[in-house]
Amino acid sequence: MVPEIETEASSPILEVRNLTVTFGSFTAVDGISFSLHEGQTLAVVGESGSGKSVTALSIMRLVELGTRGRIESGEILFRGANGEVTDLVQESEDAMRQVRGNQISMIFQEPLTSLNPVYTVGDQVAEAVMLHQRLGRREAKGRALEMMRQVRIPDPDQRMGQYPHEMSGGMRQRVMIAMALSCDPRVLIADEPTTALDVTIQAQILGLMRDLQRTRSAAVMIITHDMGVVAEVADQVVVMNQGQVVEAGSVFDIFEDPKEPYTRALLAAVPRLGSMAGRSDPAPFDLVAP
Amino acid sequence: MFFRNKAAVAGLFLLLGVILMTFLGPYFYDEDPKDIVARPLKGPGTEDVPGLGTDYLGRDVLAGVVNGGLTSLRVAAIAAALIVMIGVTIGAVSGFYGGVIDNALMRFTEVFQVLPALLFAMVVVALFGPSPWKVSIAIGLVLWPQLARLTRAEFLRLKNMEFVKAAQAIGSSDLRIIMRVILPNALPPLIVATTLVMGGAILLEAGLAFLGLGDANEVSWGLMIGQNRTNFITSWWTVTFPGLAIFVTVLSFSLIGDGLQDAFNPKLRGR
Repeated sequence: MVPEIETEASSPILEVRNLTVTFGSFTAVDGISFSLHEGQTLAVVGESGSGKSVTALSIMRLVELGTRGRIESGEILFRGANGEVTDLVQESEDAMRQVRGNQISMIFQEPLTSLNPVYTVGDQVAEAVMLHQRLGRREAKGRALEMMRQVRIPDPDQRMGQYPHEMSGGMRQRVMIAMALSCDPRVLIADEPTTALDVTIQAQILGLMRDLQRTRSAAVMIITHDMGVVAEVADQVVVMNQGQVVEAGSVFDIFEDPKEPYTRALLAAVPRLGSMAGRSDPAPFDLVAP
Repeated sequence: MFFRNKAAVAGLFLLLGVILMTFLGPYFYDEDPKDIVARPLKGPGTEDVPGLGTDYLGRDVLAGVVNGGLTSLRVAAIAAALIVMIGVTIGAVSGFYGGVIDNALMRFTEVFQVLPALLFAMVVVALFGPSPWKVSIAIGLVLWPQLARLTRAEFLRLKNMEFVKAAQAIGSSDLRIIMRVILPNALPPLIVATTLVMGGAILLEAGLAFLGLGDANEVSWGLMIGQNRTNFITSWWTVTFPGLAIFVTVLSFSLIGDGLQDAFNPKLRGR
C-alpha cells in the first residue's frame, strides 16, 4: 500500500492519555496512550480480552452505560470541528449525546444483531440523521437514501423498506456504516467490523470503508485481531495485551521490524504467504511463541 | 398465524359476540333490567315470563344479562389501561436502569404483589366508595405488578442487545431508547399479558360486585349472582345465565391471549 500523506505535524483529532478503565476490581484497560490523526487509520490489535473493545467504548463513553465499567483516570482529548479540544472523560452525558453519532461514530462487530429488528433499515438510517440534524422526516429519508447509495447497497430505494432480517450480513454491515457516517463524523470507530463476515465480503467492506474515509478525510480507528486486516487498511498500529499497549508504530515498522516478542508472536500466528507451498494438508501451528 | 389457531378464532368470535350483545343488545331487547316485570323466581318457559325467567324481585334475567356486560367491559378496559401504564412504566425504568433504582422499585412492587388481590381491592373500594371508576382503579392497583415484572424481565433481556448499544452510539437519549428501541421489541409478550390480565380484571370486578362492593345501581353480572345467590338451589336460572356470561367473556380473553402468544412466538409455531 502507498503510504498516506504524512500528518505527523498536525495535532491529533483524538488523543488518549493514560486511560485506565476498571470493572469492579478488574482493570480492563491499564494506562494506555495513543493518538489518532485526521485522514489516518489506526488499527488496535490484540487477542480477545486485551481491552480493545473497552477502549473503544470508553472513547464513546458507553462503557459506563449498561455495564459496570468505570473510567478511573486518564484523558480522552477530542478536537472538534471548530478546533476546540475537549476532554471527553469530563463531558456531561448530554454533551456526549451530541458527540456520539455526530462527531464520533461507531460500528459494531455483529451486523446481525446491531440493527433493531422492528424497524426498516431506511427508518433506522433516517433516525440517525434526525437525531443530530434539523431535518424533517422526508429530508432525513432522502439523506438516508443517499447514504445507502454511498455504501453501495444495490436497489437502495427498495432496500430502504426492508427489515434487517431480510438482508445478508454484508448488507447489514453496509447499513451500519451508512448509519455511522450519516452525520459526517470526524472519527469512526469500527469494532471488529469484519469479524462476523466471510472473506470476500470482508474485503468489500474494508474497501468501502477506505473509500469513504478518503472522500471525507475522517479518522478511523479499527479494532481487530486479524493481522490481514491490519496490513490492508492501517497506517498506524497499536498492539495491546492485557490492557496495556505493548507496541505502537507505523504499519511498516510493526510488520517489518516488530520489537516486542508479543508482537512477533501475534504476527507468527498468521501463516506467511507461500509458507504453505507444496503442502496438501494444513500445517500444524506452533502453540508456543518463537 | 393467529387465524390458524382454531381456539383463538373461537375466542375472538366469543368476544365479538359479547361486545355486540353489550352494545347492541339493549336496542334489540328494549327492557329495563331494574323493572319488575313478572312474579319473582319464575323459570324460563313459564307462561307470561320473559325468556330467561325472573329473579327474586321479579326482574327480567335476560335484560340483566344483556345490560350487565357494559359495567364489566368498561371496568376491564379502564383497569387494563391503568395496569399497562403503571406496570410498563415501573417495569421499564426498573429493568433499564437496574441497580438501586431496580431494587427500590421491585421491593415496592412486591408490597403490592404479596397482598391478596381480592382482599386489597375490597379494602380500596370499601375506603373510597364503589363507583365504576373507583372499582377500576382498585383493580388496576391490584393487578399491575404482573405486568411490571414481565416488562422488567423483557427490558433486562433486551437492554444488553447490540442494537441498544448501537442506538446509544448514534446519540439516542435514554427516553428514546426505552420508548422507541426496547419497548417495541418487548411488545409481543406484553400484549399477551394485557389480554390475559383483562380476563382477570373482569373476574375481579364480578367478584367485587358479588360481594356487594360494586355500584348497586349499576346492573352487572357479578351483582346479579350476588343478589340471587340465596335462591341458587331452587331457581338455578337466576345465577346460571349471568355466570355463563362471565365465563364466556373471561374464556374469550384467555383464548385470544393464547392465540396471540402462539402467533408471536416463532418457537411454538406449527404446533
